[in-house]
Amino acid sequence: MQPTVWQKVDSRARRILPFGLTMIVLLFGLTPTYIPGLAQITPMYALIAVYFWSIYRPDLMGYGPGFAIGILEDLLTGAPLGVCTLTLLLTQWIVFNRQKFFHAKPFGVTWLMFVLVAFGAVFLKWIVIGLVAENGLTPFGDLFAAYLITVTVYPVIAWMFSKAQTRLLDES
Amino acid sequence: MPDAERYGGTIVKQPTGQISRLGTVKYLVQRFAFLSLIGLTFALMLIGKADTILVERARMAVSDAVTPILRVMAEPAAVISQFVTNLHELAAIREQNADLREANTLLLEWQAVAQTLESENSQLRGLLGTVNDPETRSVTARVVADYGGAFAQSVLITAGSRNGVAKGQAVTTAEGLAGRITQAGYRSSRVLLITDINSRIPVSVGEAGGRAILSGDNSSRPKLNYLGAKSAAAPGDRVVTSGDAGAFLPGLPVGRVVSVDEKNVVVEPFVSRGRLQYVEVLDFGLTGILAEIDRAD
Repeated sequence: MQPTVWQKVDSRARRILPFGLTMIVLLFGLTPTYIPGLAQITPMYALIAVYFWSIYRPDLMGYGPGFAIGILEDLLTGAPLGVCTLTLLLTQWIVFNRQKFFHAKPFGVTWLMFVLVAFGAVFLKWIVIGLVAENGLTPFGDLFAAYLITVTVYPVIAWMFSKAQTRLLDES
Repeated sequence: MPDAERYGGTIVKQPTGQISRLGTVKYLVQRFAFLSLIGLTFALMLIGKADTILVERARMAVSDAVTPILRVMAEPAAVISQFVTNLHELAAIREQNADLREANTLLLEWQAVAQTLESENSQLRGLLGTVNDPETRSVTARVVADYGGAFAQSVLITAGSRNGVAKGQAVTTAEGLAGRITQAGYRSSRVLLITDINSRIPVSVGEAGGRAILSGDNSSRPKLNYLGAKSAAAPGDRVVTSGDAGAFLPGLPVGRVVSVDEKNVVVEPFVSRGRLQYVEVLDFGLTGILAEIDRAD
């Protein structure tokens, strides 16, 4: 049976869901909280989202979407162009190369892996920004705090994403 | 089975022989995509270093596009922040507190004015028979996005070239200097805060008015560089803009020296990043911009 136009639109919409949700959390991360001291340690939402979708829906979050999100994050956050892109692509590379390992693992394991991957990502960002920016390395303290927060909010974001996945993606 | 699942659900129905072949092709394509995208990323880094104007345009185009969304998203944050503030003040001292805050803001504004006048005065006295400062116009704008987390210290505001905002203008709050405009889009602009690693502000320190450059380092406390040996700074000294290099109007309050050691003179800015909600963009009467505002009016 040929799918109708609406079914096609519906399935397209479902397929861009991972990308769309990633953009939403990215924009959410930019929203000011008006709470002193919190802006410096904003979690790296894009990293969480790309890591999550690369594990669970690699067909919908390949290198292409990962690259696009990285560019948008670079442009939006004012980071030197290419820094976030590089970090996200390497994160995906790790996940795709260890897909068998990640397959059907309990949540705790993926979280633990995220703790390691995110540390690598923060460290890489710190080095690359230090190399690219004219003024050398930024203090690592705030970055480390941002890392800890990122790792802490991972379960919350992952829970929301997995709900979205079971509701909207699995039935398609 | 894991192989089929690995490359998306659709292949599951294929005969077994094809899975591995399709799998290999897909793997190679993926690998090629990865390598070429990494190459592209490095090319972008070079472009970012070489053609900053192009990159700035791209940044502003993206910012302009998402500003309406961010505006909506910032609304609940503002409401929640308001709610939290209200809760804090709910005790018996609530009203008194609010009044005091209001009075404090007003007084700080007056203090800023008085200090500006004082420094202006001393400069004028030195000159005798001077020309007046150009008229200053200002635009008030809301902060809708806080960019960069720990990597950069900049915010997005809801005023752009259509409101007369242009690159280089000073951004202040009632407390003092917050930063300057680095990119002005049509309906939004990016403000580089004085704490950003790329921020360099010519300042004068203390009553002696020793010149220095205030350099941010992405921490909440910027440092003073190129401070002359004669004009040593002491903790408690006020730091104001010097107006050197025509960057800003002289005398805008910036911060206070908190510690001095052999290596660093550390300044605590009067404006704190997290509390930025509404800011004022100052325009020192650069004729081109004024003409544009008049036309817009």
